[in-house]
Amino acid sequence: MGDWLRSWCSRIHAWARTASVDREFTAELDSHLEMIVDEHLARGMTRADARRTALVRLGGLTQLRETHRDQQGLPVVERIAQDARFAVRRFIKAPAFSLFVVMTLALGIGATAAVFGLADAVLLKPFPYPDPDRLVTIWEDDSAYGFPQNRISPFVFLQWTPRNHVFDDAAALTESSVNLTGSGTPEFLHAHRVTTNFFSVLGVRPLTGRAFVAADGEPGHPLTVVLSHGLWVRRFGSDPRIIGQDVQLNDARSTVIGVMGPDFQFLDSRIDVWLPSQWTGDYVERRKTDHFLITLGRLKPGVGLGQARDDMSAVSRQLAADRVWDDAPVLVPLRDQVAGRIRPAILMLLCAVGLLLLITCANVASLQIAYGAARVREIALRLALGATRSRVIEQLLTEHLLLSLVGGACGVAVAVWSIHLLTVFVPRGIVAVPLVDSRVLTFTAAISIATGIAFGVLPALGASRPERVTHLKHGSGLRRSLVVAEIAMAVLLASTATLTLRSFALLSGQNPGFRPAHVLTLQTPLALPRYASEVRRREFYRDVIQRIESLPEVVAAGYVTSLPLANSGGGSLVTFEHHPIDPRHMMVANMRVVTPDYFRAIQMNLRRGRLIDGGDGTDRPKVALINETMARESWPNDDPLGRRFKRGSPETDSPYWTVVGIVADMRQGGMDVPIRPESYFSFEQADFYAPDSLAIRTTADPAAIAEAVRREVSAVDKDQPITAVRALQSLVDLSVEPALVQTRLLLSFSGVAMLLVSLGVYAVLSLAVTRRTREIAIRVAVGAARGDLLRMVVGEGLGMAAVGLSVGLATAVMLARVFTHLLFGVQPLDPLSYAAATLFLIGVVALASYLPARRAVRLNPSIALRSE
Amino acid sequence: MPQESDRSRSEILQGTLDLIVLKTLEAMGPLHGYGLACRLEQISGAVLQPNQGTVYASLVRLHQKGWIASSWGTSEHNRKAKFYALTARGRRQLQRETEEWQRVADVMARVLAL
Repeated sequence: MGDWLRSWCSRIHAWARTASVDREFTAELDSHLEMIVDEHLARGMTRADARRTALVRLGGLTQLRETHRDQQGLPVVERIAQDARFAVRRFIKAPAFSLFVVMTLALGIGATAAVFGLADAVLLKPFPYPDPDRLVTIWEDDSAYGFPQNRISPFVFLQWTPRNHVFDDAAALTESSVNLTGSGTPEFLHAHRVTTNFFSVLGVRPLTGRAFVAADGEPGHPLTVVLSHGLWVRRFGSDPRIIGQDVQLNDARSTVIGVMGPDFQFLDSRIDVWLPSQWTGDYVERRKTDHFLITLGRLKPGVGLGQARDDMSAVSRQLAADRVWDDAPVLVPLRDQVAGRIRPAILMLLCAVGLLLLITCANVASLQIAYGAARVREIALRLALGATRSRVIEQLLTEHLLLSLVGGACGVAVAVWSIHLLTVFVPRGIVAVPLVDSRVLTFTAAISIATGIAFGVLPALGASRPERVTHLKHGSGLRRSLVVAEIAMAVLLASTATLTLRSFALLSGQNPGFRPAHVLTLQTPLALPRYASEVRRREFYRDVIQRIESLPEVVAAGYVTSLPLANSGGGSLVTFEHHPIDPRHMMVANMRVVTPDYFRAIQMNLRRGRLIDGGDGTDRPKVALINETMARESWPNDDPLGRRFKRGSPETDSPYWTVVGIVADMRQGGMDVPIRPESYFSFEQADFYAPDSLAIRTTADPAAIAEAVRREVSAVDKDQPITAVRALQSLVDLSVEPALVQTRLLLSFSGVAMLLVSLGVYAVLSLAVTRRTREIAIRVAVGAARGDLLRMVVGEGLGMAAVGLSVGLATAVMLARVFTHLLFGVQPLDPLSYAAATLFLIGVVALASYLPARRAVRLNPSIALRSE
Repeated sequence: MPQESDRSRSEILQGTLDLIVLKTLEAMGPLHGYGLACRLEQISGAVLQPNQGTVYASLVRLHQKGWIASSWGTSEHNRKAKFYALTARGRRQLQRETEEWQRVADVMARVLAL
């Protein structure tokens, strides 16, 4: 072992000094030669004879030097360098070919690298918290109400956390918002209200100051707040003296105790502040059945998910047995919680781009085989001059690898340019941004090498046997198979694209249940304690709406608790009058508090009965509207109008509401999320929620009135923050954006694949026509019709297509099941999509066959036969 | 082109040649290429080296493994020549291989005497 190492060190040492090693050995040989000559001279030969015999006796000088050189230095490296230089010269001599290959490779490799960058950022890169694999989110199983993964209440949190044996600690948080007032413009801040152990469960420390301690969570303790880095820079000028200072949040003083680092975020990058939860016993009891907490636990080291699930189930079973709480816990690892929904779409993109890369490889391989046929002479000469077959293969492979590495380098540029297009697939909560970093570069290098070997091996093996290559038939069988494979993969890719296209068309073509155009939306969250009084709130709404509706371009304006497609909860248990109670099918319906003009503002359709209007005042009978889904599910056989229901369980003492109208279903969570039952109440009669979203219908462009609207709101309350100002249409567009981008991407991939297929078909058929020139000429000479010839060539092309299509479609059918999660409204085996893809591909192949066919037809038999 | 059988024979002969070079250097002290080649011619004739130049392949191998060392000097006839000498490692290697050969020879002797 030591000897072997010594040898190699010696070789490397000599390789660094090749020239001087060579010179030294030449001198040594000369000296040796002279000594032999001396010997011969001593024996009486003439100088000439002595020298001649000496040379024979010593051996071939060139060969000796070569052997010496091979023993020293690193012949492998030198061979590769030599091959590379030779390859570069060849590429320069055939610029069109090389450029084409490099460009197709750049496209294929670049696209694959970009999609990998996305997959890496969303699915692979660890969260920026210590030991992120131990973080688990905890939910409650309320399937009976339609929420298999529901948030929990503080009561449940306080029952589960001390009793379990598998978590180091668990924290809970909920979304909140505060209005920052005081110096400067009032600002609406996104907040998370967290239990005081939140930062320690995550394992992160603030950049400056401190995180919460248990005391901060005690009711009555002076209020504290942790700032986000962005807020600190933006609002407080990165002043380190902010620690210990007070800020005015929701009209109350809070002391700033810490500032988080610039890259810190958890679940939401918009969070500006973290506030401590201060739960009193009374609060916990009062909100026992309110499900609003997101819970995060850190598993003890060495505890697996299965073990944790078992333990928590045992805890909840015990609680159920003690009649404390009935519902079972659901544990979901943080990664799955955040990225689980988008994972199938990303994997599908990866597969699609992988197919594209394979098609690219097949295309380049086919080209290389054809090109190899043109190098027959050169290779035959090399072999005759003494090169071994393996050396020739080595050289050819080096060429291919060089091409693919250059293609890969250009692919990096493609990836860098296109990766931002994929940001739309990054779900909220993922901190990493898809970009071309060292991991993606490593990946790109690896697939470049793999690609080079994939498309290089077969052509290299084939070309190294020149005796087989001379026949024009060489490789035609192989090239045909490659084209057939390309067609199969292309139809797979294309049918994926058409399925996605249909799915997207169906998704975005849906009636959202309202008219989004020309509507401006914004939020004016009313903070306690200023707006604690019901009366004050109503005054605010009335003032704002009156002022805004008096603006010239405004048609109608109305408040609602939650805009369409921005479903932010607000559901409540519903009990129907005179209905038998089925505990397994209790309904939870969305509760929406509105001002009367809201329906006109978003143009929601009334199906039956009447809308809520100004006449439904505080002292009038309590009325409500329900959507079609709620009508269908609660009174399937009866007329809902005139029926009554109340919020809460049967025992709850809450007022009954009378149904006076049924409105059309409206999309709440997203265009593909099933519609939930929903009910609407007038703001004069309902005080359980305070609406904060304003919708304003205008005659013109919504953006044009934004400034005027702001002024009016500030005129009513100058300290009221205004946030989320945007057109309603943009909410609709945003909800379908991932599907749109995905469709576009798949269509682009398919487009490129079709192009490559057409080139492949053209090349193969072109060669076939050339090969059969004589035969075609004879046919023409004996009177074959133009049509026959066309049929012959195009028929050959379509024959390849037939085989490719069968294989591709069969594979698609087998894989169809995988698709089910990804499509909306379309069956995975939708015949229309497959038919479209197939027909398109047949068209492409037919077109590509046309040019060679025309050439066959144009053949002049006398010229053709004579030239043979 | 070399045949299969030629190649394997030459591998065996390579090893033997290396051993002979080591032994020769031990017995005769430092030698240059010509000196070694002449000795080899005397010992084995054309079997081990069809021409004198083949000794250099052996010398490079031995040098790379650190069993011999080289230095430029002057020959008997005042020519500049590169001399090769055994190193301590080389001596040890020689001893090991000699013992190995001896063992093989003993066994063969016993077998052939059967």
